[in-house]
Amino acid sequence: MRAIYKKELRSYFTSFLGYLFIAFLLIIVGIYQYLYNLRGEYANFGLAVNGTTTFFLLLVPMLTMRILAEEKRQRTDQLIFTAPVSVERIVLGKFLALVTVFAVAVAFICVYPLILHNYGAVNYSVAYTTIAAFFLLGCTYMAIGMFISSLTESQVFAAVMTFIVILFTLMIDMLVQMLPTGHVLAFCVLLGLALIVSVITYVMMKSKIVTGIVAVLSVGGLAVAYFTDPDRTRFDGSLAKVFGWLSVQSRFALFPREIVDISSYVYYLSMIFLFVFLTIQAIKKRRWEA
Amino acid sequence: MITVEHLVKQYGDFRAVDDLSFTVEKGEILGFLGPNGAGKSTTMNMITGYNSATEGDVTINGFNVYDEPEKAKRCIGYLPEIPPVYPDMRVKEYLRFCTELKEIPKKERAAEVDRVMELLHVTHMQNKLIKHLSKGYRQRVGLAQALVGNPEVLILDEPTVGLDPMQINWMRNLIRSLGKEHTIILSSHILFEVNAVCDRVLIINHGKKIIIDTPDNIIRTLGGTSGVRLVVRAEEEEFRKAVESIPNIARCDRLEEDPGDGLTAYAVYSAERGEIRDRLATMCAERGFALFELNAIQKTLEDVFIEMTGKGDTI
Repeated sequence: MRAIYKKELRSYFTSFLGYLFIAFLLIIVGIYQYLYNLRGEYANFGLAVNGTTTFFLLLVPMLTMRILAEEKRQRTDQLIFTAPVSVERIVLGKFLALVTVFAVAVAFICVYPLILHNYGAVNYSVAYTTIAAFFLLGCTYMAIGMFISSLTESQVFAAVMTFIVILFTLMIDMLVQMLPTGHVLAFCVLLGLALIVSVITYVMMKSKIVTGIVAVLSVGGLAVAYFTDPDRTRFDGSLAKVFGWLSVQSRFALFPREIVDISSYVYYLSMIFLFVFLTIQAIKKRRWEA
Repeated sequence: MITVEHLVKQYGDFRAVDDLSFTVEKGEILGFLGPNGAGKSTTMNMITGYNSATEGDVTINGFNVYDEPEKAKRCIGYLPEIPPVYPDMRVKEYLRFCTELKEIPKKERAAEVDRVMELLHVTHMQNKLIKHLSKGYRQRVGLAQALVGNPEVLILDEPTVGLDPMQINWMRNLIRSLGKEHTIILSSHILFEVNAVCDRVLIINHGKKIIIDTPDNIIRTLGGTSGVRLVVRAEEEEFRKAVESIPNIARCDRLEEDPGDGLTAYAVYSAERGEIRDRLATMCAERGFALFELNAIQKTLEDVFIEMTGKGDTI
């Protein structure tokens, strides 16, 4: 794990990529700090960080696109996956290297509120809880980016897909508002989702039994939940709720408003865990098929 | 040392490797021979634990590759078909990374990097970026990587592909000398190479084992001396008739070579295995054909290979 971690970290800092990422991030935070805090004269540093989150759209793919796709393309995966190191440790080493590059940038950002202190009273608790959430949000996006990179040999494809997925998470709140709230439609859409999950299960596992169990449980569960409810209101607004779970970005929005939401931290940590886990599974699965 | 049992790799409806079993003894060099697409690389990827097998087991040094992957992988050095090198790393830096990846104790790393660089003659290239190296040097760095940690088992997938003749010779000598201390599986589609380097040969086609034996035995059991070359002074038609009168003759070809002096050369093949030279000599003496040369056509591994795999175009 250490060998992979060191190699990745070195590759970010011997090429311009690591420096570019950090510099880009710091410049953006600087610009927002100037706009909100210095020119706008808000004492809330969280606002500056909040503005920066949109730029994950560009920053994250830049860092994650090559992380696994490139190993596959240049066949060096044959070296690392035949070394006496488990897939788990390789993926973890790579992810920690990503987190480290990001942490360097965040460490610099931690200095910004201190500078701001020269110009007036700064609410440190808001500033640093927001920075912590910003860090976790970034790590979540990077875990997603790494997962996407593990699915392909093409850096470009990985970058574009990561861009689209992050864009989707940014737009999801807006999209949710357009969703109908009626229970009949909600039931139908959820039923469709259950079928999609079943199809994905079949594609991934090629097992009719497992797929059958998944399909029966999900479809049956929905049907029971829907039809046992006498006034059928149980599904009112449920679509918005389901899609709301995917809204990585909206969990962040509370922090700059001086609300510390511990559940958001937990949410991000679970998402990170989920996508690191999915990356490991994707690699293991490919070794069965390839 | 290496035991492969009933190995199967299935891609959808296609069986890339079909019930392959063999063992390689300690200190042996096994040549792994087959036309392109026969399943050589797939098998090697399964032996090294890069890919999983659909069925079957691989045991290295007593460790099952799928049950105890880390212990098994520690015994293996693998040079895949395309050397797994990072173009943006320097040679020394790359090998240093390999010593870390293979968990060589920290104190021994520098010496180990020097040792493999020395062995592969890449010491003078140590500070070059790998992307600036020629194919031959890249292959050497790839092999240096496989030798890091001095693993007992070496799996080499077409190690001489893309090298110039000088380098090929050098590489073969190196592999032969490595064979004294290591157990080696070497894949190739060049028969001469396998013949020159390997103790035993495994021929596969369409993922199935065709034969495993020493090169000499394969030629003897499958080749034999079924063909005979004659140089005689005789009318062609008359000679053909005379040859056909001998029982057990499959065919008689006139060879293109021109021995001169009004002589003609023929190749005569027997229908079954067994000696026909004596009968041919007697026939010539009886019919009064002047016989100048009579020798057995020694089958090469190449002939056997073409016969066994059934297509010459794949070589």
